[in-house]
Amino acid sequence: MPERTVMIVDDAVTVRMFHRQILEQAGFAAEEAVNGIEALEKALGRHFDLFLVDINMPKMDGYRLVAEMRQNDDLAAVPVIMISTEAHAKDRDKAYLVGANYYLVKPVKPEVLAQCALLMGGRP
Amino acid sequence: MGLKKHHPPSSSPSSSQRPVRRDPERNFKGFIAQLDDPNPAVRRWGARDLAAFPEAAPILCRHLAKETDPTVREAVFSSLLRIGTEEAVTGLLPFLRSEDAGLRNGAIEVLQQLPDQTARHIEALLQDQDSDVRIFAIDILQTLAHPDTLGWLEEVLNHEEHVNVLATAVDRLAELTLTPGIKEALARLKQRFANEPYLTFAIDAVLARASVEDSQ
Repeated sequence: MPERTVMIVDDAVTVRMFHRQILEQAGFAAEEAVNGIEALEKALGRHFDLFLVDINMPKMDGYRLVAEMRQNDDLAAVPVIMISTEAHAKDRDKAYLVGANYYLVKPVKPEVLAQCALLMGGRP
Repeated sequence: MGLKKHHPPSSSPSSSQRPVRRDPERNFKGFIAQLDDPNPAVRRWGARDLAAFPEAAPILCRHLAKETDPTVREAVFSSLLRIGTEEAVTGLLPFLRSEDAGLRNGAIEVLQQLPDQTARHIEALLQDQDSDVRIFAIDILQTLAHPDTLGWLEEVLNHEEHVNVLATAVDRLAELTLTPGIKEALARLKQRFANEPYLTFAIDAVLARASVEDSQ
């Protein structure tokens, strides 16, 4: 079975490193982007099995990225886990409203992220 | 055939040189009125033209709260940056509490580019009751070119209790040259949050990078 791929979108370098380590250990090949615009550019013409998206990022935040993805023929069906420091119900509701498939609150436990990624992105 | 009258270019601009008349009243009052126009392009023109009027800062900030068009918002943020007064900064600070991520991030990006005016508010923001506001204050520090940045971050490491505020501070340190005081604070923080996998990972990553820098 071909390797599963995940796009990690977060402006925090140590968060990207942490999530990459967890997801690579879970069997994913990881690509990184520092904001929504870079994620869309890097996703052009490529296949991804999962997007892991932060909310607060410069240039294009996570809500806008997911909304854009849902309007894009190539990315509309890609599962998205949104992950944020914001634990309020309204933030979770907004994530689902724009098209996220799941919402996690930072800091996430490694085993929780790995299990969610495998559930949403498929087992490698 | 009579002689054609010659007009020098300066006295008769060609149609391409002629200024486009964008509104009937091109003055402060007219630009303010444009902000309420139903056409986003007209609101954008008004917002851009108001950059020349420092007294427009509070008006532009009030308009931001109700503006939904992203291109007009961008023009308002750009004008507030150009105005760059204390009034512009104090008008932007409330947007750190906005539920609209676009407004929050736009405000943060402008504040980052106004270091002298924004620096006066950092200590208060870092002690705000709302942990999200404290996180956004650290986001401002990410590119705020100010000599006190490392000192503020060291204070956060030593006194903050909220794990996500600390995580944001540690991440910001990944791009800075660490002082001995910061390194000691990171080591203490790692002990304090030994059961928090992300924080210990991030502290190790930041200290490892500093160690490589020190050895070069």
